[in-house]
Amino acid sequence: MMFLDKEEIEKALNKPAAYGPDVDISQYGMESFGQSNLDETIVRESYNVGVDLSRRDQLNTYLQIDHDVVFKTIQKKFEEDIELMSLTEALEKYEWVRDIYWKLKSPYEDKYTAFVAKNEKSGYFLRILEGRKIHLPIQACFFMYSPSLVQSIHNIIVAEEGSEANVITGCTNYSKIANGLHIGVTEIYVKNNAKLNYTMIHRWGRGLHVRPRTGIILENGAKLLYNYVVIGEVGSLQSYPHAIVEGKNARLSMNNILYVVGESNMDLGGEVNVKDAGSGIELVTNAVASGRTKLMNRGAIISEAPKVKGHISCRALMLSNEAEVSAIPVLVSRNMESELTHEAAIGKIAEEQLFYLRARGLRREEAESILIRGFLDISMMELPKHIEKTVEKVIELAMKGF
Amino acid sequence: MIFTVKGVNAVVDGRHVLRDVNLEIGEREIHVLFGPNGSGKSSLVMTIIGHPSYKIISGKIFFKGIDITDKPIEERINLGIGVAFQNPPKIHGVRLKELLNVIANNKAKNPKMVEYLEKLKIPNDILSRSLNVGFSGGEIKKTEILQVLAADPEFIILDEPDSGVDVENLEIIGRALSEALINKSALIITHHGHILKYLKPTKSHVMINGTIVCEGDPEQMFEQIMKKGYGWCERCISFRP
Repeated sequence: MMFLDKEEIEKALNKPAAYGPDVDISQYGMESFGQSNLDETIVRESYNVGVDLSRRDQLNTYLQIDHDVVFKTIQKKFEEDIELMSLTEALEKYEWVRDIYWKLKSPYEDKYTAFVAKNEKSGYFLRILEGRKIHLPIQACFFMYSPSLVQSIHNIIVAEEGSEANVITGCTNYSKIANGLHIGVTEIYVKNNAKLNYTMIHRWGRGLHVRPRTGIILENGAKLLYNYVVIGEVGSLQSYPHAIVEGKNARLSMNNILYVVGESNMDLGGEVNVKDAGSGIELVTNAVASGRTKLMNRGAIISEAPKVKGHISCRALMLSNEAEVSAIPVLVSRNMESELTHEAAIGKIAEEQLFYLRARGLRREEAESILIRGFLDISMMELPKHIEKTVEKVIELAMKGF
Repeated sequence: MIFTVKGVNAVVDGRHVLRDVNLEIGEREIHVLFGPNGSGKSSLVMTIIGHPSYKIISGKIFFKGIDITDKPIEERINLGIGVAFQNPPKIHGVRLKELLNVIANNKAKNPKMVEYLEKLKIPNDILSRSLNVGFSGGEIKKTEILQVLAADPEFIILDEPDSGVDVENLEIIGRALSEALINKSALIITHHGHILKYLKPTKSHVMINGTIVCEGDPEQMFEQIMKKGYGWCERCISFRP
């Protein structure tokens, strides 16, 4: 078991993160109102982040409200294929889980990881068993219900050798709560030749602060699509997942689709360390920034092996002069056989495209909204058809609201 | 007259691109506009549609008797003008299918869409691809025409429907257009005139240096241009008083 050094954790509790605005965690408490009824609001607001709780009996579903696991089900025909339980249960059930716990993310990284290490309450353990291919989505929802709460989550996902699965995780808060802090530590293991499509949809409010902390490892021939959709306003959100591509011929694609409004402060990125040959890495961000938002996009690919192809792309559409968008791509190559590239483009809606659509009879606003919607294209996420439809609907619904 | 351009002068980025252009197109007439590269043919299209970079400094444009010189782009289109562009922009993330739906909804569903898709031999997968992204020359021309036909306009402008198209696709486009243009008015811009093999225009014009300098019988004019080139037109007008 990973030895958690209490003293180190205490020290790290005061350590600000490398990026993003600092949050004073002491402003938030762990006290939950203990809402465990699935009222209509929760069902509706979860739907806005792609989780269909009305079909929770037909889908593989995990629902957590504040710290409590409210609902958890694996469909009968998948019982032999998937294990889904709270991480606490998993730690009790399997000794080996202790060996992979806090292995891909250091508890001492910053105050947020340290807080989770100290106060760990819940989160899921999801394991797709060797060679099993699950086409029905596995949906998880983290719902923040109580005001001034710090939701502290730790998830572990293990895609065993040759397995295939699609996971969709929606995180949101009860729209009536004015503030809160969401910290989610997620460790993702994609073993030899496993394929995982992991899609997160986040929708928050003005007073919410969000600090996902993610560690990823890919073995030989593993394929991971790590998709992150953030829609709407958020007080601040900072995330910089760290992936290690340990095996040969793996594929990792991290895609961010961001529709940032209001006074949001977002600092998003990702770092990939490629240790062995033949892998393909893509970091893609497509963002629309409006209002007085501040968006920082970071991406780093560090290649130490031959025949690695890496590409970072950031495209941002600015809808306001009061918004600020920055892009900082970093490429480090330690092998002359690796090919690393990047591109970034930040600008307003292209006049030529607008003219073209208006010349098809579309009103200016109609043309603009189609172009914005097009900017948030999710085709690179390689989602199975039904999840793609859900995500598209989520984006459309959200855009109507702004 | 369904469409009239009256003494139009237009500038783009301070360049005088259209000089005293006059053009009259009657109902159910198909006109051809010839002219060398850079003579202002596409500028005329952009000016007619109302591209914001093309400023009319004098003259007027009328459609169905309505002065459209200063109307917003979409208003002109929705009066019944359709345009197939020569070089449409690539638009990532916007699917052809999606745009066709919007066009069709704006105009009440066009029942002929399926027929056009077949006639233009447009493969289904193009419908779900991003607009003009990775389209071949032929695919661009065909999908431009498809978008125009989706709105079922009375007056159709085709800017070089035959450029960069291989022989097979030229035939497909030509045959589809010859049917689609029945009972319509049209202005067809062509540098090479390949498309004329399939269409029977009413009248033709030649544009040189931003001015329509000549008009006549399309067949005769095309023959002359094929034989002697546009250089001959330039010399011809230099002898005019």
